[in-house]
Amino acid sequence: MTDISADILALTTTFKMAALTTIILLLLGTPLAWYLAKWQSKWKVIFEAVVALPLVLPPTVLGFYLLLAFSPGSLPGQLWQSATGSQLAFSFSAIVIGSVLYSLPFVVQPLQKAFEQLGDHHLEAAAMLGAGPIDRFFSIVLPLTKASFITATALGFAHTVGEFGVVLMIGGNIPGETRVLSIALFDHVEAFNYANAHILSAGLLIASLLLLSMVYLLGNNVNKTQQNLAKS
Amino acid sequence: MSTLSNSTNTSSDSPSYSEQLAISDNPHATSLALAFKLAFNSFVISVEQEIHLSAVTGVYGDSGSGKSTLLRIIAGLEQQAVGKISLNGKSLQDSAKKQYIKAEKRQIGLVFQDSRLFPHLSVYQNLAYGAKRQKNSQLSIEKVLTLTKLKSLQHQNVTQLSGGEKQRVSIARALLAEPKLLLLDEPFSALDKSTKSQMLTILKDIQQQLNLPMLYVSHSLSELQYIADQLIVVSAGKISTVNPIHQAIHQLNNAEETSPKTSLSLTVAEHLPDYGLTRLSLPIAQDKTASIYLPLLEQTITPSLLGQKLPCMIYARDISISITKPEHSSIVNHLPATIIEIQYGKTNALVTLKSGEQQFFAQISLWSKKRLALTIQSTVYIQFKANAVHSYHYTESPKNA
Repeated sequence: MTDISADILALTTTFKMAALTTIILLLLGTPLAWYLAKWQSKWKVIFEAVVALPLVLPPTVLGFYLLLAFSPGSLPGQLWQSATGSQLAFSFSAIVIGSVLYSLPFVVQPLQKAFEQLGDHHLEAAAMLGAGPIDRFFSIVLPLTKASFITATALGFAHTVGEFGVVLMIGGNIPGETRVLSIALFDHVEAFNYANAHILSAGLLIASLLLLSMVYLLGNNVNKTQQNLAKS
Repeated sequence: MSTLSNSTNTSSDSPSYSEQLAISDNPHATSLALAFKLAFNSFVISVEQEIHLSAVTGVYGDSGSGKSTLLRIIAGLEQQAVGKISLNGKSLQDSAKKQYIKAEKRQIGLVFQDSRLFPHLSVYQNLAYGAKRQKNSQLSIEKVLTLTKLKSLQHQNVTQLSGGEKQRVSIARALLAEPKLLLLDEPFSALDKSTKSQMLTILKDIQQQLNLPMLYVSHSLSELQYIADQLIVVSAGKISTVNPIHQAIHQLNNAEETSPKTSLSLTVAEHLPDYGLTRLSLPIAQDKTASIYLPLLEQTITPSLLGQKLPCMIYARDISISITKPEHSSIVNHLPATIIEIQYGKTNALVTLKSGEQQFFAQISLWSKKRLALTIQSTVYIQFKANAVHSYHYTESPKNA
């Protein structure tokens, strides 16, 4: 396999991982953020701290514990093996699970903040007009917190693309399965293959810059409209 | 007048009684049965009462008295409230049976003080929000747009509306959800006087056209006197019994620290533009009416007031008492009356009088009381200037009403 085709394979693996992770994060992170925004208890801070942990922990720490948990000798690893018939550690599923945990705060925190700012006023008004909870979420919450959903999606995706430590610990380096861009880059550097390293690095840098610029552009536009609305 | 001794009204106003009869005779009359308790940190609201809902039931109380919370509990927005609530015999909440119908299923509308319009939707879409969620809608958006005079604004963004327009949208939106009861929580308190007047007229019109019972919260008695036909007084988490509006305002003369006043409805008899006055008539005996004058009503906004009943207020401090008929006075209003009660304060006395069946309240100094040797059953004349007769919406409203 040529370096280029191997790098393209790493790119598709990375994209698949980041996309799947982002979808799972939105599905899990939205109710979690909602719960944290509405929950009023002194125990809430502990849950908030747990969600924020990946921001401060070295990724390798998270990766190390996950590796232990995913190994066939541990209970989660065994359960996975008996349910799916394949090993969890060093699999694509493992790096997706790892990424979900690792990028959790990047999705939950902006959403939680948005839900807190939204408050109950419009939701109460909607309830008085006959809208149930699910209806209220889609007709009121989602449109009014659109900017934060865009931010959460982009940050979750971009952060997952950029991860290295967790994937290295629990994914290994299997082409087409767990070999993602950051790992491919590391390989190139270790092999003194600086030309390919340059292509990947510059590519990632530019792609990330473009993605983030787009997010801020979208975010600013939505924010402006929301600020106008807030003036009402 | 805080030191006045407490006393109950021995007699009541006849028009109020007939109003009350009309309410209970109405086969469409609805009732709201409340028996609940809700405790916040140091505040407890506890209510046990059945309210026969009339057209508009006013809810009066100081800020912090619990009147907004009362509405929120009825609406289903305070799930911590424990007890029973039922509307027209249908149970909305029964904590003992672990029954709690959620706000969205109660068929009760609530208009908030801050309009809470959905900023991402246009005026029309805001109205459609409530309408879409109704199964058997009787009202069309078109009709409600007309009722609330919003037709020309329907495609606007709600963020561009003025305060009065926003509250109109808020009311229209609530109407389209077709509630069985509409709750209004100080809906116009943030609006200026003239906008508020227009809004009250529109609201009264809506009430008459749709025959929808309303619970209207306000801390302004003059506003309530205009819009409501009966009144509940909320104070420190407790509510009073429901009384016809004039009677309820008179009862506040004893309980409240605000200025005592006479509240009554008078029929518009004729306009006297040359003198800047309007004459109202008050029945004082069979086949006999007395005339009461007030500053000329603004006929521009109310061209056809003749023959209509006008709610009026006269402050007790503006009514004086004379032993003889004050015929040679510039004061235009004078009526014969009999003293039925005298309550003493530190520096003045609050005299309750009756002219025909109508009660009046006059505040006079203790010195005058002694000088005129006033006692119960004395027959006297009460007098007050035309300017002392206030009618919300039609005349300049008194500062502290």
